[in-house]
Amino acid sequence: MKGLKYQLKNIRRDKMCILTFLLPIIAGIAIHLLSGVNLQTVSEASFGILKNDLSQEASLWLKANGNLTQYETPEELYAAINDPSTQIIGVLKTDNGIRTLLSGDELTLNKVIADTLPQAYTGRTEKSPYTRTIIPVSENADGLTSLLIVITLVTAMFMGATFNAMNIIGEKEDGVAFINRILPMTAKSYIIQKITLGFMGSAASALITSLICMQIKPSQLIPFLLLIILSAYISALTGLFIGHLSEGLMTGIVYIKILMILFLAPPILFYLTIPPQSPLFNLSYLLPSSATFYALMDLLNNQPDRLSLNLFILFVHAILWSVTYTLIKNKRPRSRPAATS
Amino acid sequence: MLKGFFHLLKKDFRLMVSGKFFLLALASLLLYSCYINFVYVNLDQDIYPVCLYDPQSKQPLISEYVTKVDTREALETACSDRYSIGFDLSGESPELYMLSSGSDVTDHYRSIWGETVLAGNTDGQARLIGTNNKEMKNRREITAEFLFFELSAVGFLGLASMLFKEKQMGVIRVHGILPVSKSMFILSKLFLLFISDLTFAALLTVLNVGLSHGLAVLPAVLVHAGILSLIMALIGFFCAVRLPNFKQFSLVYLALAVFVTTPVFMAGQIGVAWDWIVYHPMYHLFMAMKSAYFAAPSAGTIYYLISFGAIALLFLLAHRTLTIEITKEG
Repeated sequence: MKGLKYQLKNIRRDKMCILTFLLPIIAGIAIHLLSGVNLQTVSEASFGILKNDLSQEASLWLKANGNLTQYETPEELYAAINDPSTQIIGVLKTDNGIRTLLSGDELTLNKVIADTLPQAYTGRTEKSPYTRTIIPVSENADGLTSLLIVITLVTAMFMGATFNAMNIIGEKEDGVAFINRILPMTAKSYIIQKITLGFMGSAASALITSLICMQIKPSQLIPFLLLIILSAYISALTGLFIGHLSEGLMTGIVYIKILMILFLAPPILFYLTIPPQSPLFNLSYLLPSSATFYALMDLLNNQPDRLSLNLFILFVHAILWSVTYTLIKNKRPRSRPAATS
Repeated sequence: MLKGFFHLLKKDFRLMVSGKFFLLALASLLLYSCYINFVYVNLDQDIYPVCLYDPQSKQPLISEYVTKVDTREALETACSDRYSIGFDLSGESPELYMLSSGSDVTDHYRSIWGETVLAGNTDGQARLIGTNNKEMKNRREITAEFLFFELSAVGFLGLASMLFKEKQMGVIRVHGILPVSKSMFILSKLFLLFISDLTFAALLTVLNVGLSHGLAVLPAVLVHAGILSLIMALIGFFCAVRLPNFKQFSLVYLALAVFVTTPVFMAGQIGVAWDWIVYHPMYHLFMAMKSAYFAAPSAGTIYYLISFGAIALLFLLAHRTLTIEITKEG
């Protein structure tokens, strides 16, 4: 406990370290202010039409099926279709219906939509023989805002890694690591102190951020807290790994950079592009941040069915990495004398 | 004068080598190339799958998009992803069953798509007007993004790591009495980073866009890579001279990575249209880079004027900061 007090004293001087934990909170405030913007439309199909080309009825039909943007000239429409960052499908009038234009670089989803749209349009007047049962999902937060919130929260939870890594590397560079070796402190208590430090920072940062931009129902409170605790623990541990492995600040920063990209990019990509049943999706569970990410997304969308699975995976990660760290730590001497270049 | 500059260059080059700068750039190059070639090019999103529960085989036509299931439970499980569309033909009246995706518009299209598939109307063909296929587009897009990210990060970080090392060694103090101008001091670092960034850009482009396509876009890419490299290196120089230690600097770097590049990525990758993004200076640099990769006409004279103006201003700022810092060091 006394050691922890010294550790806290140590970081209090380093105001920038405290800022590490403030960053996600600032981002949370920014998202909170931004949440007025509707970003749901990203997942919908986009159609581009020409002014005074399609009939009123056809434009209404398109509008019911996706985003509709109207362009003044064919050149503008072609440019929008060819724009690589959009998935716009061009729709033009023909004698007895519509025809579609594509750039050719679209996702299979949009390619198939464009290929089959004219036939679907022709069939619109026939009465549907099917009774439609569409099960509503309970109040869905705006897709992209919740994505932003989750990204911020995952960043907040994994800030402990950055913080711990910087802290340990800083100690190595300043020579505190050598002093620590002659202090009457066991490696175990040192690890516990460091983990607690990163853990508290991550957890506090994530909690405050979630208070700002998330509404948590009482029933979700316990899983949410568990999620924060497990993620913050893993993150603090990751920081120890980086601190252990890197010799200098520069290499440390590169590790942190790679880690941040690895921890954030794959879950986002997997979540957006791959259905949860596919084996590739399960592969993403190799990264602990994926479990955190999916669990948070489920919490925000009120779909608690996979929550316990995600928590379990986080738990397994926590155990696994703790054991690995202990093994590495015991195998090598506590710290090699830093190579002076 | 020129001799002094060469000596400075030699010294900075050795600093970069000893700081493992080139090794790190090479590692990044390999990491990015592996990711692009093995993961990113294969990313795709399939059309909504259609699941059919039809025990009495009422549905004669089975298209390639339909998967048959044997029970109602299997149908409901298959549809629980909020993406698939289910048809239950076992009862009196046929039923379309699906879970809402969260957007009414998408749900509406999904039900229309499902019915179109069952009616067998899926043999149309849209007219293609673009020049890229999906793989080429993915390659160009992600290479542009990685290059942008790497240049904004490496220019910033690389220069700073050199400068902090020099600061620690007292080089800035020594420079106050050396007969080498401060501009030379800045220029030699800029020059080396500029060359290494351009090499990195060329290698990344050729490795990931392919030799023929890569070489075709390379001149335009190098122009924008050069502009970005100079701007970021100068900002890095300014921050590194001003901030007392590398740790503080790295946090500025983190803030830059999270707040400056993330919105640009989101706008570029997902096509999110934020109105305010046009006021984000990095957005324009990113878009210029991206259009260079797609061989699209890039921004006009105003873009270049502002870029070079910014470079000149940043250079003056860096020069001034260095002067102040040298005076402070005595």
